[in-house]
Amino acid sequence: MSTVAQIAPPRTSLSTLPIDQRRGVYAMWSVIATEAMLFICMFGAYYYLGNNKDRWAQESPPQLRFPLILLAILLSSSFVLHWGERQLQGPVESQRFGLARIALWITVLLGMGFLALQGFEYYYHWSELAPYSDAYGSIFYTITSLHAAHVIVGLMMMAYIGVHPRYGTTIRTPHKPYSTIALYWHFVDVVWVFIVIFLYVIPNFQRMHHVH
Amino acid sequence: MTTISAAERLTSLWETPKTTRGWFATVDHKELGIRYLVTAVAFLVIGGLEAILMRIQLSRSDLAVLSPESYNQIFTMHGVTMIFWYASPILSGFAVYLVPLMIGARDMAFPRLNAFTYWTYLFSGLLLYLAPFIGQSPHAGWFAYVPYTLTRYSPGLGMDIYALSLIFLTISTTGGAINFIVTILRLRAPGMAISRMPLFLYSTLTTSFVILFGLPALTAACIFLELDRRWGTHFFHIAEGGSTLLWQQLFWFFGHPWVYVIFLPATGMLSLIIPAFSRRPIVGYPFVAIATVLTGVVGFGVWLHHMFTIGMSDIAMSLFSAGSMMISVFTTIQVFAWLATIWKGHPVATASMYFAVGSVMMLVIGGLSGVFTGIIPVDWQAHSTYYVVAHIHYVLIGSNVFPVFAGFYYWLPKMTGRLLDERLGKWSFWVMFVGFNIGFFPMHILGLLGMPRRIYSYRPGLGFDSWNMVVTIGAFALGIGILISIINLLVSLRSGVLAGRNPWNSDGLEWSSESPPAPYGSVHIPLVASRNPLWDDFDEEDDPDNDRVLDWGRLTPVTTALDANPIGLATIPGDSLLPLIMSIALFAFFATMVFQMVFTALTMLLITFAIGCVWMWPRDVKEVM
Repeated sequence: MSTVAQIAPPRTSLSTLPIDQRRGVYAMWSVIATEAMLFICMFGAYYYLGNNKDRWAQESPPQLRFPLILLAILLSSSFVLHWGERQLQGPVESQRFGLARIALWITVLLGMGFLALQGFEYYYHWSELAPYSDAYGSIFYTITSLHAAHVIVGLMMMAYIGVHPRYGTTIRTPHKPYSTIALYWHFVDVVWVFIVIFLYVIPNFQRMHHVH
Repeated sequence: MTTISAAERLTSLWETPKTTRGWFATVDHKELGIRYLVTAVAFLVIGGLEAILMRIQLSRSDLAVLSPESYNQIFTMHGVTMIFWYASPILSGFAVYLVPLMIGARDMAFPRLNAFTYWTYLFSGLLLYLAPFIGQSPHAGWFAYVPYTLTRYSPGLGMDIYALSLIFLTISTTGGAINFIVTILRLRAPGMAISRMPLFLYSTLTTSFVILFGLPALTAACIFLELDRRWGTHFFHIAEGGSTLLWQQLFWFFGHPWVYVIFLPATGMLSLIIPAFSRRPIVGYPFVAIATVLTGVVGFGVWLHHMFTIGMSDIAMSLFSAGSMMISVFTTIQVFAWLATIWKGHPVATASMYFAVGSVMMLVIGGLSGVFTGIIPVDWQAHSTYYVVAHIHYVLIGSNVFPVFAGFYYWLPKMTGRLLDERLGKWSFWVMFVGFNIGFFPMHILGLLGMPRRIYSYRPGLGFDSWNMVVTIGAFALGIGILISIINLLVSLRSGVLAGRNPWNSDGLEWSSESPPAPYGSVHIPLVASRNPLWDDFDEEDDPDNDRVLDWGRLTPVTTALDANPIGLATIPGDSLLPLIMSIALFAFFATMVFQMVFTALTMLLITFAIGCVWMWPRDVKEVM
């Protein structure tokens, strides 16, 4: 049937094209999309449960000092990891693999510090608020520990990448594990930013609004 | 370099050895697609038998074939099986098999992930069907409203198995969606710009995005339910500040987009089958494509129409009522495009076309009853009656089962290499079509007469008896119709007429390879010049310099997302047992979580991670020269 409209296809030679290494990053973006949606559902549940309940008139909102220190830790870890990523740019010969690996392990240490401090925060507040105290406690601990689970997964993946052999011409992987994992880690950090805003900062503002 | 030796080299690269290890380790999308289809049909048969049991119980008043509790368990298992383990995976099966062939790629973007999602799909189904064997099936309907599903009213393991097997399944479904997104956006043949994609790819792509953004709500809801049931939290306990409606909000925020997950790919199949048998390109291709995408988008804004009876503000009800009716506009665009294609074309009456046209008819009936239930006063009357049961079955059977059968009669010759018997196929269609309408149309009347859904029996003298008997007869006829098609398939596997490359003279790239296709697809990566590659004058596989054979490794071209200009070569990993082993470890995790064996479960999770580490370890490149 020659009535079908035709447009000449591209005539690029296929056999000389470079090896593609981007699919892993696209998959990670998809993972981030769906994980972000999971956290959006969690925040939605947080506000839905808080709907029509003036909690911060009676209760004191969560203290700001812990989450802000935690935020500083995570943000600095993201900068370190991004610096590490930049060491792996350009042609293979000019990449500084050792520096990138050091940056990775510094990030892992910072992440472990984050987990330790968050554990201390849980311990510190446990007598006032626990997951089984009320619905607010349930959603508060569910959101923050779900984030902690993402931190743990990120740390495990970074430790795994941290012992990867250097790959180049004879050993290779179809993906870019370093930048893929870094993308995930940046996402985990951004989620913490939103947790600080929704679960910590805004309740303090609401409290001020009640007290003044 | 001659073509024959290139084909041999490609075969040695892509073929899975026919050994026991090869059977478990294969990552070939054709093999996995067929497994998806077989498994999903097995779940269809199981769910169908459950439906038959319910219909026997309801055929007359005051029967006691099933006890009330076992009736509850059976209707729940029926709904869960059909909606989660049949309706979506069967479409994934078609997509896994067809998408790489339709886009001229050698395999999916992540073949081992593809194997992993198949095995996790199978094992999550096995986890669900553990429930009847320990005598504690879920019993709260497929949407499992709290507070009935909390431990106080539902003790035992049934609802835990429901929640955990669904979370397990979301891993499989999300992995599959990611695979489709990257495959469709990156691996299309050079020249297959986004404006020239087969419409099935539009619906699969839209569906995959809907899965990415919709499924997390189900995961969150199931996590909350499991925490409330087993770990002492208070998401759904009103006395402690929780909300029972939270479950409904989250569930339907997932649940309504899910309707389009099991509906859109089926319309995508109709958008290929109807033009192929009307002997002309589809009318209004861009409108159908845009309507498909918009259905997916607007599908996120209608979920409250499942909850019109909970008591909410007029403005919320008006908005969601309007949204619900707006979405029928997009479906109508598709329906009119199909009708115009038949009208302007030269239709051929094959069994596949029978199923396609029948499906359009029932889709219209189901869509119209949906518009009625979108109107709030009608919804208040019809809510939780058989009217809603009739609506959901018209939409789901009309726009999932019938298109799937149309797809079977259309694509099975490609998969098996043998044609199905047309006469038996048309018999199957008429028995199914008549049986379905006898079985489900009276449910509208029963609903308007006031028969509530989910009752295990009813008193005589309410006027329900005769209609219920008619419904039961129809359900049996529908089952017999499906059986005829299964027999037809088994007969054709032994003695069907050989199909050849393109038995229907269709337009898609999947018809350019032999039937069944070689493990590598086509020898030369095709170039695409139009929307209907096999109907135009351009020779897709014309490749005098053997530039597009790529026979020195497991390679397939990567192209840009919009224009499909080639930019690289993707290395495709080979067969591996790791996906199966990792699925088994995950199964062990979820199964031990059901029994709250926390330390075993955590160990299993660590083992899963360790398997993933082996999976992703960089390897020496094996290249065949």
